[in-house]
Amino acid sequence: MKDKEMTAQQILKPSRVFSGQAIQKILAFLTLIVMIVFFSVASPNFFVSDNIISILLATCVNGLLALGVTFVIITGGIDLSIGTVMTFASVMAGVVVTSLGAPLWLGVLVAVVTGGVIGSITGLLVAYLRIPAFIATLGIMMITKGLSLVVSGASPIYFPAEYKEIAVGSLVGKVIPGFSLQNGVLIFFVMAILAGVILNRTILGRYNFAIGSNTEATRLSGVNVAGWLTAIHTLSGIFCGIAGVVMSSRLGSAQPALGQGYELEAIAAVVIGGTSLSGGQGTISGTVIGAFIMSVLTNGLRIMGVKQEWQTVTIGIVVILAVFIDIYRRKKQR
Amino acid sequence: MGETILRMEGIEKRFPGVHALQNCHFDLKGGEVHALLGENGAGKSTLMKVLTGVHKKDGGRIVFMGEELGALSTQKTQAMGISMIHQELNLMPHLSAAQNIFIGREPRIGGVFTDEKRLNREAMRLFQMLGLGLDPRVRVADITVAKQQMVEIAKALSFESKVLIMDEPTAALTAREIEELFKIIRDLKARGVGIVYISHRMEELMEITDRITVMRDGAHIKTVETASVTTGELIHMMVGRTIFEQAKESGSAKREVALEVRGLNTRVLKDISFTLHRGEILGFAGLMGAGRTEVARAIFGADTITSGEILIKDRLVRIASPKDAVRCGIGYLSEDRKRYGLALSMTVEENTVLASMKSFSRVGFIRFRETAKTAADYVSMLKTKTPGIRQAVRNLSGGNQQKVIIAKWLVRDCDILIFDEPTRGIDIGAKSEIYKLLSELAAGGKSIIMISSELPEILRMSDRVAVMCEGRITKILDIKEANQETIMEYATQREEKQQSAKEN
Amino acid sequence: MKQYMKYIGLAVVLALFLATGVGCNAMQQMEGGGNEENSDKPYVAVIAKGFQHKFWQTVKKGAEQAAKDLDIRITFEGPDTEAQVDKQVEMLDAAISKNPVAICIAALDSRALLGSLDKAAERGIALVGFDSGVDSDLLVATAATDNTAAAALAADKLAEAIGEEGKVGMVVHDQVSTTGRQRRDGFRERIESTYPNIEIVDIQYGEGDHTQSADVAKAMITANSDLKAIYGSNEGSAIGVMLAVEELNKVGKIQVVGFDSGKKQVDSIRNGDMLGAVTQNPIQLGYKAVEAAYRASRGETVQKEIDTGFEWYDKNNVDSDVIKPLLYD
Repeated sequence: MKDKEMTAQQILKPSRVFSGQAIQKILAFLTLIVMIVFFSVASPNFFVSDNIISILLATCVNGLLALGVTFVIITGGIDLSIGTVMTFASVMAGVVVTSLGAPLWLGVLVAVVTGGVIGSITGLLVAYLRIPAFIATLGIMMITKGLSLVVSGASPIYFPAEYKEIAVGSLVGKVIPGFSLQNGVLIFFVMAILAGVILNRTILGRYNFAIGSNTEATRLSGVNVAGWLTAIHTLSGIFCGIAGVVMSSRLGSAQPALGQGYELEAIAAVVIGGTSLSGGQGTISGTVIGAFIMSVLTNGLRIMGVKQEWQTVTIGIVVILAVFIDIYRRKKQR
Repeated sequence: MGETILRMEGIEKRFPGVHALQNCHFDLKGGEVHALLGENGAGKSTLMKVLTGVHKKDGGRIVFMGEELGALSTQKTQAMGISMIHQELNLMPHLSAAQNIFIGREPRIGGVFTDEKRLNREAMRLFQMLGLGLDPRVRVADITVAKQQMVEIAKALSFESKVLIMDEPTAALTAREIEELFKIIRDLKARGVGIVYISHRMEELMEITDRITVMRDGAHIKTVETASVTTGELIHMMVGRTIFEQAKESGSAKREVALEVRGLNTRVLKDISFTLHRGEILGFAGLMGAGRTEVARAIFGADTITSGEILIKDRLVRIASPKDAVRCGIGYLSEDRKRYGLALSMTVEENTVLASMKSFSRVGFIRFRETAKTAADYVSMLKTKTPGIRQAVRNLSGGNQQKVIIAKWLVRDCDILIFDEPTRGIDIGAKSEIYKLLSELAAGGKSIIMISSELPEILRMSDRVAVMCEGRITKILDIKEANQETIMEYATQREEKQQSAKEN
Repeated sequence: MKQYMKYIGLAVVLALFLATGVGCNAMQQMEGGGNEENSDKPYVAVIAKGFQHKFWQTVKKGAEQAAKDLDIRITFEGPDTEAQVDKQVEMLDAAISKNPVAICIAALDSRALLGSLDKAAERGIALVGFDSGVDSDLLVATAATDNTAAAALAADKLAEAIGEEGKVGMVVHDQVSTTGRQRRDGFRERIESTYPNIEIVDIQYGEGDHTQSADVAKAMITANSDLKAIYGSNEGSAIGVMLAVEELNKVGKIQVVGFDSGKKQVDSIRNGDMLGAVTQNPIQLGYKAVEAAYRASRGETVQKEIDTGFEWYDKNNVDSDVIKPLLYD
């Protein structure tokens, strides 16, 4: 009795069906709001502009990584290398800018291209050589981690001062005085919108869902599954590259030893946002909310002066809760 | 009927160790429904997979629309107008109906963006052509299997297919849905589409097909006009021997009650009450979705019971989980053997003792000599055909897998056995063996609930028949008063309230 | 039914979430950390380079002791690994939002912190560096061990033990951080300048991880059968080296010189398996940093460079009154 029988006239009318995903998203959004209210009440230092800016800036790197890996997770895959690919991209930019004296824009381009190239290599391993994603990306994680140390000579690479403008400067502030939204945050928002368009409006997004939903059926429908899978990993890599630019610009340096552990935070954000690890469903807006939940929680607990040990415990509980609710909701739907 | 549009001649196909197709031929005319009939493993699906390019042929020719086809791929054949609707539907559950139909061929804007409006419009056009009232934007996971099948048919139609292959299309459909499907098949026929129809259900073949090709052991046996054969002749051709369909002789004698269910309610079941006697086979009939499997799951503790009582040998028991049920001596043989019944990669021996490990172990160590002996005993008792007890269950045929599951529950010492579709996917020859086994088990004092969608099977095996409709038992018939017509009557007896709602 | 589940789900999240928050606060008060939100005591934020490591936990003890003596309130935080520069920036930003009178910071990468430090200075928050310096005038003082000198002392002791000749290896915790580089270079430069007959055959990096350092050391020993001694640049490295020597049955044949303390290292030194180690003074490090920060916030003048000291210890003086308080388990 579940199927929606409709006449042609009804179909032409736009109607929003409340899907389970929408509910998960609303739930995540409500959680975020409740958390913000809670922390604002708990500490007078939380809801002040300086701290809000800190939170926004703290979200954007993890958020960019999460955006990219959302695509991969919707295919039913996983990518453990995103953190170290990000680092490698920033190190490559650093080398090009400092050792070769290239202009900053070229450094940025190199970082993005590096991310894309590594992503496409991951894609080839997973899609064509059929290496399980977990193993392939674990390998890429180690390789990029090592390469970052090799290329950088194992010490941080410092960028010229102007490089900091990319993430910390404020284009918005120049247009609207007094509203100094940092560029890093702006980049994150713009990329999120772009990711949403790619996922929901393009062929790539369509095949992304199709592969995650039923790979074999997609293959039998004449879709070049391996090719698109590679493209999706490349896209994810490009997001890592952009994250690398924002990260290094924020720190003023490329830190070769950084990166490991960031993949899990990004994956946690994606999952909190309602994207299913088994593939086939997920949303960009959910991922954005998930990324904010992670950073608001971290920052809020810190501001409240909660001991660091308990901060970690709390974040762990929230991740498990988010996934539990998701599973519970799915079970109810059946 | 039109011209011959497809001709397959002398098709050969070998898999490692198996000569799957030997000199097979097959032809199809435009506007014809041509059935492919044969036991499981006879080569029907393999032949069709060769045609659609899933398998490469090792010999022979395929002529389609007057042209000989070279190397094939699924994409190529689909584009040429040969579509196959697989038994396991090949859909992407998370995508919408329209997105599924046009996957790989989406209308685009600027080569990159999907044109969702046109996509839905085109899908709507196809649905209207099929007389199907379905929202193209609805997620495929949220519609019934029948509707999903219609989506697959719409997809085939969108390729302007000239040949449409349907593999067991009615396996999961209700009688009404089958009627709808047949209407669409007749409609497609009228448009000149040639349809290859693979099914085991004789009545359906008799109703819808024009010709029938029988295959056996990878070889072509005979092609006949449907109008000129009887079911018996077809079965004879399929199995190479005659199977006597004998009816149950007597009703149930008054014997002690093994299981009694009183006023059982769950999320889907309403007020289920019945008794099961020792040595009795109680058939459960009804349409797909009537709640028969749910009854089994509730008694077995797999679904939550909201109210009602279960009595075993007149003693009230509490069954909250399958573990409780097994302790009470209830065994459940799921219709989906591969998923729920067996550990496929484990051996006959391991599967046989799987449910009773406690009695075959000492302080956690398995007593291998005893497990081997027990497994061997049951293999000979149930006449399971296996090269040995160390054979992986995966390599056995469906009928023999079923016997391993039966052995598993017998070892566990279950007195009440619930069989859910015991012969689904089992060859006709092996079926009669399973029937014999069930009768013997009942004669030996076991009480059996048999859920089946095949009415002849119900009528042949049961002492009494419980008929279900929409979560209720509408009637319990003695075998003497049961026949196909009465069962169907009760199986479609909806509650009046729902009846009037439906009419609006 | 279905409708309710969503709300129940939401309620569960909130309940658990709030419970965790409240629980954490309660826990803190029970532990008597003295950092209740509404306290009127002056507040000093301490941001270290690490957190879980025993060294930092001992620094924390010193910092907490100072807080008690001065009757002020502190928080102590640090990133999980010493690579997480960005996490430290976020911790610093969050600390600034809490309006402390002073901040003690052990910078992982001084330049990455500059923006945030500027902001803190603008707000009149007194800034004190500890453990390693920040190249900035914003800091009123820096409390630190002279790592280069400490590493040179380790080199002297090692040279003396092997008769000033032969091959030695080095296992360093990392090649990025300042302490890593100072302890590597301090040792190497002393050997190269003062002991011409000693050859450094290899320098490897083990991330301060026991097993990784042990693996690295084993490879070194296997490759150089005539190796006389190995230097481990921090607790993890030294313990790793000691493990390698034990597992290859080379105790006594290969001398081990370590850094910092920790139970395993102290035990090895006490029973003579390990030659000795240089220890910093982590309690002093924490104590002096907090003390200087608080004094600076009150406008008192503080010394620009605060040496928190280091000591050589071996089996002869490990249990002496001078050394014992400096060692942590």
